[in-house]
Amino acid sequence: MADLGLVAADLVVGLMLGCVFAVIAHGLNVIWGVTKVVNVAHGEFIMLGAYGAYYLNLYLGFNPLLSVPVDAAIGIGVGFLFYFGLLHRELRGKETITRESEMVTLVATFGLSLILSNVALAIFKGDAVGIRWAPETLALGPVGVPLGGLYVAISSVAIIAISDLFLSRTYLGNAIRAYSQDIGAAQLMGINPTRIAAIATAIGFGLTMAGGALLTVWLPVGITPLIGSTYAPISFVIVVLGGPGKMWGSLLGGLTLGILIDVLPAFGISTSIAVAVAFLILIPVLLFAREGILR
Amino acid sequence: MLQLDHIDAGYGPVQVLGSVSLAAQEGSITVIVGPNGAGKSTILKVITGLVRPTGGHVVFQERDITALPAHDRPALGIASCPEGRRLFPLLTAETNLRLGAYTPRGRNAADATMEYVYRLFPRLRERAGVKAGRLSGGEQQMVGIGRALMAKPSILILDEPSLGLAPKLVSEIFAKIQELRKGGLTVLMVEQNAYAALRIADFGYVMQNGQVVRSGPTKDLLDLEALRRDYFATG
Ligand SMILES: Nc1ncnc2c1ncn2[C@@H]1O[C@H](COP(=O)(O)OP(=O)(O)O)[C@@H](O)[C@H]1O
Ligand SMILES: [Mg+2]
Repeated sequence: MADLGLVAADLVVGLMLGCVFAVIAHGLNVIWGVTKVVNVAHGEFIMLGAYGAYYLNLYLGFNPLLSVPVDAAIGIGVGFLFYFGLLHRELRGKETITRESEMVTLVATFGLSLILSNVALAIFKGDAVGIRWAPETLALGPVGVPLGGLYVAISSVAIIAISDLFLSRTYLGNAIRAYSQDIGAAQLMGINPTRIAAIATAIGFGLTMAGGALLTVWLPVGITPLIGSTYAPISFVIVVLGGPGKMWGSLLGGLTLGILIDVLPAFGISTSIAVAVAFLILIPVLLFAREGILR
Repeated sequence: MLQLDHIDAGYGPVQVLGSVSLAAQEGSITVIVGPNGAGKSTILKVITGLVRPTGGHVVFQERDITALPAHDRPALGIASCPEGRRLFPLLTAETNLRLGAYTPRGRNAADATMEYVYRLFPRLRERAGVKAGRLSGGEQQMVGIGRALMAKPSILILDEPSLGLAPKLVSEIFAKIQELRKGGLTVLMVEQNAYAALRIADFGYVMQNGQVVRSGPTKDLLDLEALRRDYFATG
């Protein structure tokens, strides 16, 4: 039987890690929920976000939190390029996204994923790098809470809260939600569909890359060109679990996965099996609660 | 105020409208009636820009808007409650209304117009926080009309405002439409409920198979025998 103190510590770490997962998944969720495009290259942009934070630390001494706005800004720029370079041709002028367009964007993002991961391997090499930041711990009874992880978790929740406020309280945010529900009706409100799809894609990339920066606090020696292949599947599980397009669903899904991935190993279950368990959870969710676990 | 000039339009290879011309005069209620499938909704989609005509011109306030994208039309003062209402089902009634005021024209007056809409449809004030998808048919109709009003339009386009409503609610909605016209709004609507619609309108068009077969001041169209012939004629 696992030591209870260790499980408690893992639970705390799992919750903090889950907050970061939520931001990363949220990036995928916004693009998926609004443009209906499943970004297969999602993991590569997480990886680029992590390397962004690494180099900002290496050359400018930025800690991961300082890198978040820089990575987000880069992500937003990349998102606009991605939209106008890849998606616009498929989405422009359409009131509903056809199966055919879905396939085209799937293949296009898959191609991009291959290119990016291979270019990253060539440039960054296979060696793991990392940022050492705020390694002190806060004693919470018997549980030591790593401070870096705590700051990052708080920032993650703040990012989700801000994006929720943006989407529910501003004209632009509501226009994004309207577009995701009915493109033609959104146009009747005077909403320019191209502008909305481009902005949503940019926000999604900003979140994804910012999430990559946040993640580095949990990868003190673990940033490699391949981390995308670990965190992208986790993001997909979270989005489906939380419900596509649902903000707080991402957070709930993220926390669930964070706990699973961090606590199960304490019971002698390997991390890869923990991820497999997460995928198993998807089956009943897809069968019985297609809109996610939040109503 | 609004003219359609020899409009041809359809969906892909299917031609629906053949050389349709019609006009809506400022400050009046114009109604288009006709059997199911006649092309009434398609005309409205041409006006709001959701369907691009293959021939002819749409002119609004002396400006040719035939090629203007749908999302640029509300800013000119064209607002609609389309076929099937097309509310945003996961957004609340109030957010649906707010989105109606998306253009600067609507947004600058949004709070005042919202109050106006709530006074027009008091029921909506009570239902403001409910997701549109969970509202009753009548409430959805009110949100649809209210959302169009939020744009501060100079012409209000309505597709079958009485569809699926109880008779009492139908006369209530029609009374509201008359009230709006008294306030100076131009209204162009499509109705299945021909007799009731012609009674409140000033000018009417009768459509069949994608063409206008009769038109005139509504008092001339209210001949029941002729209407029946228009509806049941086979060709
Ligand atoms: N989205 C569409 N795609 C293809 N055909 C359509 C579409 N909408 C309507 N139609 C066809 O166009 C014709 C006219 O439809 P519509 O304008 O909706 O008529 P009405 O509003 O008078 O009932 C009908 O034959 C209908 O089947
Ligand atoms: Mg119709």
